[in-house]
Amino acid sequence: MRATSDVELGRIALLEDLRNAEKTWEVLAPRYGVTNPNPPWKTSLTAMCECLSASGALPALDRRRAEDELADSVYREVPPPERQLLALVHVMLSRGLVSETDLASRMRAVRSRLESA
Amino acid sequence: MNHTHKPGDGGAERHAAPMVEEITDFEVLEIAVRELAIEHGLFTAEDHRRFTEWTESIGPAAGSRLVAKAWTDPAFKARVMEDAVQACKEIGIDWAEPTGFGTPSDYMNLRVLEDTPTLHHVIVCTLCSCYPRPLLGMSPEWYRTTNYRRRLVRWPRQVLAEFGLILPPEVEVRVEDSNQKCRFMVLPVRPEGTENWTEQQLDQIVTRDCMIGVALPRPGKTADVHPVQKARRPVQGSEHSGEAAHEGDK
Repeated sequence: MRATSDVELGRIALLEDLRNAEKTWEVLAPRYGVTNPNPPWKTSLTAMCECLSASGALPALDRRRAEDELADSVYREVPPPERQLLALVHVMLSRGLVSETDLASRMRAVRSRLESA
Repeated sequence: MNHTHKPGDGGAERHAAPMVEEITDFEVLEIAVRELAIEHGLFTAEDHRRFTEWTESIGPAAGSRLVAKAWTDPAFKARVMEDAVQACKEIGIDWAEPTGFGTPSDYMNLRVLEDTPTLHHVIVCTLCSCYPRPLLGMSPEWYRTTNYRRRLVRWPRQVLAEFGLILPPEVEVRVEDSNQKCRFMVLPVRPEGTENWTEQQLDQIVTRDCMIGVALPRPGKTADVHPVQKARRPVQGSEHSGEAAHEGDK
């Protein structure tokens, strides 16, 4: 199915694997006694959206339209900060700005790096 | 759950510790996609750092200062109404930051909407989530929801009542729809009981929600608290009424 924003609304396997409700910030933060309302990656995500828009790679209005459509469909049950992240990556994959294979590979590398620190 | 916010704290309370002691897939995903985007030349690490720094620097305290100064300095208020972007420089806010021409999401055109005892403004972005970020910081999550965006323009009194703001019928409600070419901010009426207050005292009661228009400033109220329950006492006679819908028209 194709939405009016031109984003593919089909589910993406890599992102589906990440949909763990037990790992969202609204669950994790109280578990660790953290009162910051946003996860540590939220500001970076906002900046990334601005950068993509500034460079013309993904205009803000296109992203917000797609985000709305994905929030009402594929990621309806996901809370806001995680939903915004998943929606952005969904759009980037849908537009071919990054590939699912590259992203999966890079995620393994990033996790390995963070865990070794 | 209630959402609270105090003006002057940069838009969201930030705490250095304690931290969540585990690495989530979401954190990994954000880093991974950013690294790939930089490698693919979609943007640079330096640009990302600049936007991150700017994002962390903005908050509603700037808007509070602008309102307090406008309340106490008629000449400044006149300049705000004439050219708000220019007047913002007087309180240390340059809409051209961080690139020299603003951000892609903050078009450099701001109009300040002055409330009167018989006219109340409230802002929305029906298209997406346009918001005067250099003055108010990042928009609250509820401002971005389709629920707020779709309903405010049709049933403004109903939606305002859900924020606890019940306006008398003689007060006209005007909804202003932000767009990619213009941002809006509300200049509320200075409340009674603040006649001899300083600017610093005044800016403490100008919360973010007062500048969106879903709350009114009042002495002693220095934080926004949002009920998530729908108002049990809806505005009299305005349930989906033509009158309410008409008031939402711009």
